[in-house]
Parts: sequence; structure tokens; C-alpha cells
Amino acid sequence: MKKNTFYLFIGCIALALLALFWYSVEIHNQLLIEVAFIIGIVIIYFARRNVTDLIEDERSAKITEKAAMRTFQVFWVMFCAFSIGAVMQILRVPSFPRERGTDRPPWDILPPEVMPLKMMGYIQLGLLCLMIFLYVGFRLYYARKYGEWETDEE
Amino acid sequence: MKNKIKVFRAMHDMTQEDLAQSIGVTRQTILAIEKGKYVPSLDLAFRIARHFNVNVEEVFTYESESRTVEID
Repeated sequence: MKKNTFYLFIGCIALALLALFWYSVEIHNQLLIEVAFIIGIVIIYFARRNVTDLIEDERSAKITEKAAMRTFQVFWVMFCAFSIGAVMQILRVPSFPRERGTDRPPWDILPPEVMPLKMMGYIQLGLLCLMIFLYVGFRLYYARKYGEWETDEE
Repeated sequence: MKNKIKVFRAMHDMTQEDLAQSIGVTRQTILAIEKGKYVPSLDLAFRIARHFNVNVEEVFTYESESRTVEID
């Protein structure tokens, strides 16, 4: 498979996944898009192995490696910060004094509201977007650093 | 790290694309090495030197630009 054919193939897979996402929303079946996404990624992985044109060498591998490492280094801090906040919200870490002016016994206090599941989904989506933006940003930085867009007289 | 890839290419009348294809890298990699933007691995350096039938020292010259080690 040629490199350009591979890129077209990725585009087709993305369109198919988009259509499946729409359909799974229509029929209220989240399992469909989840399984389809995994299958799509596996198909792309195997298709990439059959690309005959050279698309990766040691320089591009180094760019990918460095971008991935930097993304991980930044992302885990953000992820931990969010996770600590989420855990505190779930456990409702007590502030002292807990409730001023109340003389209710501790066993009479209602359990804290747990963060709604829908909210968790949005936050996960936000974190995923953050990870993608970080990766693209670092990739652009290292690609520029290692001469990706250098021009020559040839 | 300085190199004379451009000189050797000219001596062998090769384009960057020709050299890149024969040693299995992209043209951008050859360009980045020539411009000093990327320091090749030992394996790639030996492949380049072997392609021109010379020792690796004849193509690549080590020159420390500063005493500090850059951690990027």
C-alpha cells in the first residue's frame, strides 16, 4: 500500500467511525461505537504495517518519542490534579468546623453528593482533548527543532 | 557534530533523495543532518560512511560547542 493510499484509508475509517457514532447516538447504544473505535484503530495499525513507502525513520521516531514523553510528563500532573479534586469531592473532605451552628450528630448528616456520571464523561473528554493538544504542540515543537521544515537549494 | 555529507554527495553526484533512498531514511533526515539540526545515531552514521566507502571519521567530526550537556 502506498503512503497516500494509506492516508485516504485513514480518512475513510474516520468517516465510517463518525457515521457509526451518529448511529449509536440515534439508537442509544454506546457499545457499538466503543467496539467500532477499537476495531478501527486495530485496522489502521495493521494497514500501516503494509505501507511500502517509507514514512518513518529514526529522526521521525525520535520526534514521536520526545513528543510522547513530554506529553506524558505534563499530562500526568494535570490528571493527578483533577483526580485529587475529584476524590475530594467524592469523599467531601471535612472542613473544620464542618457545619457551623448545627448540633446535628455526625450520623444524621446526609452522605455527600457524588459527582454526576455525565460530568465525569465531559471531564474525561476535556482531558483527552488536552492530551491531544499537548501531543500536537510538542510534536510541532520537536519537528521544528529537528529540521522537519528545513528547506534546501535542491 | 559537523559533517561532510554534502561534499561526499557532490563527489558522488547524488541528490539528497538518492542518498536517503539508498540508506533507508527520508530526504528530510538527510537535510536535517547536513544542516546540523539532527545528530544521527551511530548506526545511521556508519551506514552513510559505508555508502561512500569511507571511514565514519571522514564524514563526521565531533566538535563540542560548549562544555554543558544539553538536556532536551
